[in-house]
Amino acid sequence: MSAFADEPAKRSSTTAEPYINVTPLIDVLLVLLIIFMVVTPLKPSRFKADIPTQRDPNEDLSKLKPNPLTLVVTISPDLQLKLNADNMGSVNDTGTLSTRLSQVFKERLQTRAYKVGMENRTDLKDEERIEKTVFVKAPRATKYGDVVKVIDAIKGAGASPVGLQVDDLP
Amino acid sequence: MGMSAGGGGGGLQSEINVTPMVDIMLVLLIIFMVVTPFLQQGITVALPKNMNNPEVDPNIIKESSIVISIPNDGEYYLAKKRLAKEQLADEVDKMLKGIKNEQDRIVYIKSGVGVSYGDVVNVINEVRKLGVDKIGLVADKKKKGGAVVPATS
Repeated sequence: MSAFADEPAKRSSTTAEPYINVTPLIDVLLVLLIIFMVVTPLKPSRFKADIPTQRDPNEDLSKLKPNPLTLVVTISPDLQLKLNADNMGSVNDTGTLSTRLSQVFKERLQTRAYKVGMENRTDLKDEERIEKTVFVKAPRATKYGDVVKVIDAIKGAGASPVGLQVDDLP
Repeated sequence: MGMSAGGGGGGLQSEINVTPMVDIMLVLLIIFMVVTPFLQQGITVALPKNMNNPEVDPNIIKESSIVISIPNDGEYYLAKKRLAKEQLADEVDKMLKGIKNEQDRIVYIKSGVGVSYGDVVNVINEVRKLGVDKIGLVADKKKKGGAVVPATS
């Protein structure tokens, strides 16, 4: 009886801590965790752009009617911007362009300038039915960064989709 | 005897119980370890920075996405592999065959800011010959706080 009673007390005094020291384990784990967190890149983003599909060269293009609602943003070699035929500042100051574009979209919302094929889609909201396509045309010598800046401004004005002109670039 | 045992117990209680913390960290660690191999890093490219309006798309870093990188004029990489311009179309075509879902037929282009637009257009031209009409131009989004909403009069 006395031996049994003594046993726990003896154990607690001789083997003082029946615990594993986890501090080095936690250190290693934390370092590994941080390495993996740094390596895993978070939230990449992109601009979605449409490009024309390859056309049949034998197709008769003269029958195609140009859409009067088409918006084309042209970047000139000296980095000036044009929306259709109007000057819109330069690449480094895209404010004019985005202001004008949002104005155009607002007007279209009021005048109900719908996309082709969207005239009778009353199930959709008006914002989704109006023609908001904008094409970007830039000469081949332009720096890619400038083109993306312009695309950024166009997206900012609410355009969707953005199309890139691929053929017949100067 | 009883006093010393109580003292030993008090000493033990003064330690922080780290078991739940270790559990959580282990789980986090395992999650990151599992996710990392499915992501692709690609090449380091001087992407356009501080853009206001690109959409976040986690698919870009997926292993299965088609990412063409153009760090400099005339250098083309598909994922991490350097390719000549002529090989690019074949390789992309091979990858496109693996994509069943029509929605996922999108080619991401990571191009440096200094690359001439003509080079990018050449790549786009190759890609569209394969019947792809959607591309994603990868750009870095501006960090929070600096977003400028264009003025609408």
